[in-house]
Amino acid sequence: MERLGTGIGWRPEIAAEIAGFDGLDWVEVVAENLCPDHLPPALQELRARGLTVVPHGVSLGLGGADRPDPGRLTALAERAVALDAPLVTEHLAFVRAGGPATGSPPLEAGHLLPVPRTRDALDVLCANVRIAQEALPVPLALENIAALLSWPGEELTEGQFLTELVERTGVRLLVDVANLHTNHVNRGEDPATVLDALPLEALAYVHVAGGVERDGVWHDSHAHPVTRPVLDVLAELCARTVPPGVLLERDEDFPEPGELAGELTAIRAVLEGARHDAAA
Amino acid sequence: MTRRPDGGPDHGPIRTADTPGARESAHAPRHVPAPDATEAARARLARAQEELLAALVAGAPVPEGFDPVRLEVQRRALVAKRATVIAKIAPELPEILGAGYRPAFLAYARGRPLTGGHRRDALDFAAHLLAQGRPDDAGARARLTRWWQDRAGPRPPRTGPLARLTRSPLLSRLLRAVRSASHRR
Repeated sequence: MERLGTGIGWRPEIAAEIAGFDGLDWVEVVAENLCPDHLPPALQELRARGLTVVPHGVSLGLGGADRPDPGRLTALAERAVALDAPLVTEHLAFVRAGGPATGSPPLEAGHLLPVPRTRDALDVLCANVRIAQEALPVPLALENIAALLSWPGEELTEGQFLTELVERTGVRLLVDVANLHTNHVNRGEDPATVLDALPLEALAYVHVAGGVERDGVWHDSHAHPVTRPVLDVLAELCARTVPPGVLLERDEDFPEPGELAGELTAIRAVLEGARHDAAA
Repeated sequence: MTRRPDGGPDHGPIRTADTPGARESAHAPRHVPAPDATEAARARLARAQEELLAALVAGAPVPEGFDPVRLEVQRRALVAKRATVIAKIAPELPEILGAGYRPAFLAYARGRPLTGGHRRDALDFAAHLLAQGRPDDAGARARLTRWWQDRAGPRPPRTGPLARLTRSPLLSRLLRAVRSASHRR
């Protein structure tokens, strides 16, 4: 797996701050917010400095019942080419429903919703991933999402579901440790157990993000600082494998200058700590 | 060997030597259920996902087996996210509406699912307020009217070179004049 290093989610609001970060290896950009013919100059500068840029899609909905939309796939492929990206990433989620398949009006969630961990959903997901892989010029990695609710009647654990998905499609994994923490709080799924069951040889990179707990529910807000429990899940992951890349995400309520750099330092410290433990 | 719990055909071993990590290709054909089986799975999944999403965004009843409390948490999270996205792509709306933006948007969004993308949503939200004679402040109402008129053309704003041309003040004034002339007819 290609080594990416330590990176941050590039957002226009923090472009100037990111440009000043020392030792940053790569950035990820939300694919839908990018026009391949008019890349932001700040992003072009990072590329000129040799930083890798990975497009991260949010609207394909590969976990949905319908086949992925060819137009959306073409758009994602164009962004991968424009950025000369080594891979593209998306989510293991559904984002829309209804429409002709159901005879109901089409509905957009506007966000990522969990897929039921059933045989049906896995078969459909595998078929959709293969369609996406055919359309994309580079490998695809899928991210585990943060869930606020659980589907009834699930047939597989997170580990079983992801393992079979990887075996059947060759898709890679983007493991979001904040989402593992979210699913721990919200669905009682122990991150260590999930990590033990994941095919970590398929790991493309790792996401780290902040969130907040309200009334016993963890909200993966990307608008709050990264907390210790999330870094502890990162440490759990690093005890099992050396991640090819780790990326910090912040989407809202951007903090005072210096705070994000501090979070990157904290992430690097976890990676270093795991290296020392492995050497000891 | 694996057998599908639904008694479907045995597709043979799913764990093969050709596992990811040992190879670099993006494509890896293996364990392919029969096309008919996948189509049937698509139909069942489509129904289940439609029921859940309709409950979350269109006021449909909670589907059987879901925790209604959690569903309500998810419903609120979706509409809050929608309000945040609209504020980002149409920052003029929270600017014009001030503190009234969020409550007005949440009231508009209840039972009005997102169907045609966020830009359409922003326009529909503005039109919804204007149709009710809101906001109360006449100056704010005039600004919102102008905002809506500038964007509610036959097609949404584009970002290509042609769109930049049509956004030029002279041309947009001209287009507005043509539009209002055609409305008068």
